[in-house]
Amino acid sequence: MDDARESPTDKGGETGESDETVAAPGDPGATDTDGIPEETDGDADTDLKEAAAEEGELKSQDVSDLTAVEREDSSLLTPAAKKLKIDTKEKKEKKQKVDEDEIQKMQILVSSFSEEQLNRYEMYRRSAFPKAAIKRLIQSITGTSVSQNVVIAMSGISKVFVGEVVEEALDVCEKWGEMPPLQPKHMREAVRRLKSKGQIPNSKHKKIIFF
Amino acid sequence: MADEEEDPTFEEENEEIGGGAEGGQGKRKRLFSKKLRCMMYGFGDDQNPYTESVDILEDLVIEFITEMAHKAMSIGRQGRIQVEDIVFLIRKDPRKFARVKDLLTMNEELKRARKAFDEANYGS
Repeated sequence: MDDARESPTDKGGETGESDETVAAPGDPGATDTDGIPEETDGDADTDLKEAAAEEGELKSQDVSDLTAVEREDSSLLTPAAKKLKIDTKEKKEKKQKVDEDEIQKMQILVSSFSEEQLNRYEMYRRSAFPKAAIKRLIQSITGTSVSQNVVIAMSGISKVFVGEVVEEALDVCEKWGEMPPLQPKHMREAVRRLKSKGQIPNSKHKKIIFF
Repeated sequence: MADEEEDPTFEEENEEIGGGAEGGQGKRKRLFSKKLRCMMYGFGDDQNPYTESVDILEDLVIEFITEMAHKAMSIGRQGRIQVEDIVFLIRKDPRKFARVKDLLTMNEELKRARKAFDEANYGS
C-alpha cells in the first residue's frame, strides 16, 4: 500500500487533492450514492437527489420540481421565465445549504473512523487509474487522439464501475457465507448479476426481439 | 535452491505480466495491477486481494472501456469520442452520471482557479 500513499501525485489530476482539501460538495454526494460502508443518512440522500436533479438534467427516475416548472412554463413566456429564475435561485441556495450539511456530516463521520477505516477511506479516495494508461488505451481503440476531458470522464466512470463490481461481489460473498478476500467465483457471479441488471454493456450479442 | 525460493514470486510476476496459459487477455501486459489492488481495498475487499480476482477485474475494466469507446464512436460525431457522447451513454446509470458531472465541474473550477492564480501572479 506504499504505492498508494505516493499516488496523490498521479491520482486523476488534481481532482484528488481538491477532494481532500476543499471537500468539494459534489464528492460527498458521490460517495453517498455509492453506498460505501459509510452510513447514508436517509434525509441527506433524498436532499441530494433533489439537489442533483435540480441541475437541469433530466433523470429518468426523479420527477423533480424543476422539470414540472419547466413543463408548465413552456406554454407561457416572460412572467414564467421570472418565476423560473427565482425558483432556480432558491433551489441553488437550498442546494448550497444541503452541501454544507453534507460536508459537516462527512467531517463528523470521518473524524470518528477507526485506524483501519481511515486507511480504507484514504485508499478509496486516492486510488485512481493512471491517466496516461487510459489515454493510451482509448487512443489504441479509437485510432484518433482524445481530449483530456474524455480521459477524465472515462477514468472516473471506470472507477465507479470497479466499485459496483466489488460491492456486488462482496454481497455475493456474504450471501454465500464466505469471507473476503474475494475469489474469482464471487467476481463472476457478481458480473452475471450486474449483466442481468444491464449495468455491464455488451454489444457483442444481438438481441432478437421478435421471431 | 535460489530458483526454488524465487519460484512463487516468479510465478506471481508471470501472472502479472499475463503469462501464456492464461484465459482472457493472456498476452497483454497487466496495466492496472497495483492501482486496482488499492482500489479493491478501498471498496471493501481485503488488504491483499487475490491476484486472480485482480486479473478478472482488469479484464472487465478494459472490456468496459472498450465497449464505451466503441459506442461513443458510433454516436454523435462518427469516428471521434467526445465527452457529450460519454455523458449520453451514461445517462441511465445514476451513479456514473453524477460522478462524471462532478468530475467535469470540478475540473472546470480548477482550471478557472489556476487561470486566476496565474493572472494574479503575472499582474503582481
